[in-house]
Amino acid sequence: MAYQMATPAHSAHGAPRAHPSWSPYDNNGGTCVAVAGQDYCVVAASTRMSTGFSILKRDSSLFLQLSDQLVIVTAGFQADSRTLHKTLQTRYVQYQFAHRRPMSVGAMAQLLGNTLYYKRFFPYYTFNLCAGLDAEGKGAVYTYDAVGSHERVGFSCQGSGKDLIQPVLDNQLKAASPLVLPPEEWMTSLPLAEAVDLVKDAFVSAGERDIYTGDAVEILIITKEGTRKEVIPLKKD
Amino acid sequence: MEAELNQAVSLGTTIMAAAYDGGVVLGADSRTSTGNYVANRVTDKLTPLTDKVYVCRSGSAADTQNLAAYVQLYLHQHQMELGGDVSVRTAARLAQQIVYSNKAMLQAGLIVAGWDARDNGSVYGVPLGGTLLKVPFTIGGSGSAYIYGFCDKNWKPGMSEADCHAFVVKAVSHAMARDGSSGGCIRTIVINKDGVKRHFLPNNEILAAYGELQPPLPASIAVGGGGAAEMSP
Amino acid sequence: MVASGPFDFDLCSRNAYLESKGVKPPRLTKTGTTIVGLIFKDGVVLGADTRSTSDTTVADKNCEKIHFIAPNIYCCGAGTAADTENVTGMVSSALELHRYATDRESRVVTAMTMLKSHLFRYQGHVSAALVLGGVDLRGPHLFTVYPHGSTDSLPYATMGSGSLNAMAVFEEGYKEGLDRMGAVKLVARAIRSGIFNDLGSGSNVDVCVITRGKVDYMRNYEYLMDKTVARETPVVYPPGTAPVLKEKRWKINSTRPSEAAAGGSAEAMDVS
Repeated sequence: MAYQMATPAHSAHGAPRAHPSWSPYDNNGGTCVAVAGQDYCVVAASTRMSTGFSILKRDSSLFLQLSDQLVIVTAGFQADSRTLHKTLQTRYVQYQFAHRRPMSVGAMAQLLGNTLYYKRFFPYYTFNLCAGLDAEGKGAVYTYDAVGSHERVGFSCQGSGKDLIQPVLDNQLKAASPLVLPPEEWMTSLPLAEAVDLVKDAFVSAGERDIYTGDAVEILIITKEGTRKEVIPLKKD
Repeated sequence: MEAELNQAVSLGTTIMAAAYDGGVVLGADSRTSTGNYVANRVTDKLTPLTDKVYVCRSGSAADTQNLAAYVQLYLHQHQMELGGDVSVRTAARLAQQIVYSNKAMLQAGLIVAGWDARDNGSVYGVPLGGTLLKVPFTIGGSGSAYIYGFCDKNWKPGMSEADCHAFVVKAVSHAMARDGSSGGCIRTIVINKDGVKRHFLPNNEILAAYGELQPPLPASIAVGGGGAAEMSP
Repeated sequence: MVASGPFDFDLCSRNAYLESKGVKPPRLTKTGTTIVGLIFKDGVVLGADTRSTSDTTVADKNCEKIHFIAPNIYCCGAGTAADTENVTGMVSSALELHRYATDRESRVVTAMTMLKSHLFRYQGHVSAALVLGGVDLRGPHLFTVYPHGSTDSLPYATMGSGSLNAMAVFEEGYKEGLDRMGAVKLVARAIRSGIFNDLGSGSNVDVCVITRGKVDYMRNYEYLMDKTVARETPVVYPPGTAPVLKEKRWKINSTRPSEAAAGGSAEAMDVS
């Protein structure tokens, strides 16, 4: 509604209005990666928040940590990301009161999909990953577009550095096609330490070439013992 | 910001020239901006065309600088053929011709002023479309809108050099106080039969207008907070 | 359209039509840049970062933005990389010929005038934003040149997307009559402020000090940051990772090129 009032794109005569360049959206950059393993999940996100050619903040977290087994990570427009995280946090708590059990990754993944699609015609300008451990204790990663289309994958990357990182992950983690029969294992067989090493390298390399990726990367390592956090510095230029 | 810096560099300006008894005074502020950014705060908008004819430039910095360079070139060539100084009238007419015949390409508002033996001090306005106006005094640029009343009231025919110079400085400083696109220092030039004299008034020496902050006091006074005796200059 | 000058604008209307139909124009490599210059006691110091960008990706991590104009004049370039390189190259060669003709050291104002009249002729389509500096018989000079062909003569100047960051440093730290060490330090600090705070600028600091009869071009005067992490389990692709599917061998004719060229006049060099 606010959008409609602020910018009817054209006046009665079809000419652009006084503020044709104003947009309700901004892109604040940032990159996130999630890798699912047999008994772990690695989720990482850069901490630089930018607009245009300026840096707004060097230690901005992209995570919504719902529990020590479940996390959502969001790149794109920070204001929408905040709004989305607030909604999801509330719904996460309400779910547990209503159902009297912890929320599974699959349930959260579906809720996130629904929340995004709810705003189909004025979308949240956010690019999400939902990650954690599933009921069997295996790593689970769900990847989204801005309006809620999602699927479960073995690993994924979103945000400003995805063009640089996703193909490297495809190559290193041997993406299996979900269409092949009999179904192939899409989860990486990499040991945890090597997966973390790969993720660090991916961010350091993306930081070299993507101007919106830098300053630091936060890495959440989710295992059945809980979540461990590492922060690795990146270049600050 | 990036988009802003890519805009054309323009002289959001206050310029003026006024004739007095025996010569002219030209005045200008010193601000050049690209969007909201001040690209040069000590610009010289008073450009020589010949030894005794100067032009005040307003509009696009690129257009007016290059235009002035062309006028300079043609006038110097003409002077060589003539074997003497060109008149202010000739210089103004040439500038006007170029502005008029390229008006679709140019964003240039000029004031040509100077001294010659026939007319003494004279002032010509060459506004955007390429009109030529011989006037006793004129003002130009975005800041001029604020000082029409002041100038109409205070300019008098046959002023002395000192009075005319004071009039120009006061007019420009009032325009700078109100116009966001004008600012910096005040440059003035006095041209008469004896030659050309340049004056420069730094920003901190411009008298504050009504409602403006006074320039900061010298450190000794500010720190000491001393008696009234120290305050007098 | 009548051809005049080295550019041909015939395709502009076609491109405008294609763009209106939604065809994306090719991306130009911009040097989203911090470039600066200042005048000190005995000359001029120029400075530049070394990042060049294509949209939001870094195209070159260590490019050279301080261009040679004459033995006593150098020029920092921001804007479209191709334009800054070509426009400085054109002026550089024109000045070299001018020196042969006059047997005198080039003047900075000459370079400035050639740049501004070229840029003015192309009405801003040649997007080169320059900081030009040098020392000639009239002493040190520093100019900024904008893409539309306007120029400013200043004691200290900045250009490019990081110009505001750098100017903040200059406005705070510049004094008249700095010594060489102070000048170089201030220039490096201005560039660093662009490198760390402007996303269009990055990597290293280049500095060029021009004094009477001497130029000190310090390429990568400051190397600021290494990669923060090295891979613990590097990926090694053993030989044979890419399988050889087909093999074909040629016998290379070992005739010397001069003999081959002597055979025909087809490849005579165009020296017009």
